[in-house]
Amino acid sequence: MSELAALGIAGLPLLVVQHPLGGERPESVARKAREAVEQLAGLIGGATTGESGRVGAPRTSLRPPSEQADPADLATMDDDPQAVLAAFCERGWCDGLPVVPPTEGRVRAMLGGAPPERSLGAVPPLWRQATLEKLAVNAVLAGCEPAAFPVIAAAVQAMLEPAFNLYGVQATTHPVAPLLIVHGPVAERLGIHAGSGCFGPGFRANATIGRALRLILMNVGGAWPGRHDMATQGSPAKFSYCVAERVDASPWGPLCGDDAVTVFGGEAPHNVNDHVSTGAAGILATLADTAVSLGSNVGWFLAQSQLLVVLGPEHAATIAGDGFTRADVQRYVFEHARLPLRTLKLGGMWGMQDWPVWMTAVRDDDALLPQVPSPDDVFVIVAGGPGKHSSVVPNCTFSRAVRRPVLPL
Amino acid sequence: MSRIRVLSPVGEARREAFTVPRLPADLAGLTIGFVDNTKHNFDRLADEISVLLRERYAVKAVVRRRKANASVAAPPETLAELAKQCDVVLAGSGD
Repeated sequence: MSELAALGIAGLPLLVVQHPLGGERPESVARKAREAVEQLAGLIGGATTGESGRVGAPRTSLRPPSEQADPADLATMDDDPQAVLAAFCERGWCDGLPVVPPTEGRVRAMLGGAPPERSLGAVPPLWRQATLEKLAVNAVLAGCEPAAFPVIAAAVQAMLEPAFNLYGVQATTHPVAPLLIVHGPVAERLGIHAGSGCFGPGFRANATIGRALRLILMNVGGAWPGRHDMATQGSPAKFSYCVAERVDASPWGPLCGDDAVTVFGGEAPHNVNDHVSTGAAGILATLADTAVSLGSNVGWFLAQSQLLVVLGPEHAATIAGDGFTRADVQRYVFEHARLPLRTLKLGGMWGMQDWPVWMTAVRDDDALLPQVPSPDDVFVIVAGGPGKHSSVVPNCTFSRAVRRPVLPL
Repeated sequence: MSRIRVLSPVGEARREAFTVPRLPADLAGLTIGFVDNTKHNFDRLADEISVLLRERYAVKAVVRRRKANASVAAPPETLAELAKQCDVVLAGSGD
């Protein structure tokens, strides 16, 4: 209901069909249909038609701002770490972890002279404005250093690009989280870790920049678990998900050498363990097998399916040692990360797939069908420390990766 | 214990509100639209509701349109078409 209010259509009549509908048998669907029609009967009783005799186009009218339910912009609380945490949790203003109190002084320092009222756009699903001040408040909360603020702003701009479909990313039942990849010299300047355990804890820049984005998505966008963020189980990646490229260990250089960010609507990393292969073929076969599975969203909505391959330095060196370029890795994964039609028919989203016509025409059960539309939809970076592990990050398939430059604010 | 003053991290809404038109008092002779959000069984639900609307409410016609997938809005031309053809539209949301 609050999403309808945020859209300015709070009075829109609703027919509520109790979850679940998907996966239900026909008799259950028929019962839910009868219930929906009974609700409709209640809604239309006594109603009147519009001026033309048909239900007309909505007429706009401005509501007083007080009805927009904006929270108070200031709060006072005891100046004690535990009291501050309790107060933020009570208000639903944080992720449950301790926060740095966003005092005016700290927020001003985070802004670094950037205009606080400037908005980067409206953040779904409640479509509230991403003013630089609100972004700065959340960055302070998360524990960020002010030097990281331009990266956070660039990441928000990237997430607000239509191709990223932030509404879908925020509201879905899928456990997607925007992975932020920071490119270029700015990553090293900020101390964004790309080595051992780069997806894990221990590094302030990774932890706090990723956390700031999550707090922005929750506090500005309004996506709270079970309330607008409808992820069935969610993911630890929703706490923080920020990494840099291991440029020094990449045989092919960085994916992007300039100061920039890429946001990728991904699942948590899937491990690619290969301790035995001594050549590219073996490692990439293991990787391609990890990249696709019946339970993945990737492949079902083909046009928006993408894979991020994060090669550990040792795997990357072995693969490059066999003469593979980055484009060769992309091509190999595109050609081999496939599933046979007979497997796809077993479950997953069979029957709901959005495939190009040539794929829907396939009848051979042994045909191996692609899970991404092209080699360009396989992104390859190098990150991590010593060891025989890499990872694959499948995307959610209703969001495409977006890159934006990091610019002064 | 001293007190501390902090800024709210919650975003501000700046959207205008729309007046939502009332539903018609009687569906007889009207055209009903469905926006299928592609989620499993929505097509079956719309089938069942359509039958009931014809039988019980004597609706004249049912128009069905399908989105590309659940997480994107229906294209503007689809919305314009439905607005032109239909008196009431039921849009699938969620799953």
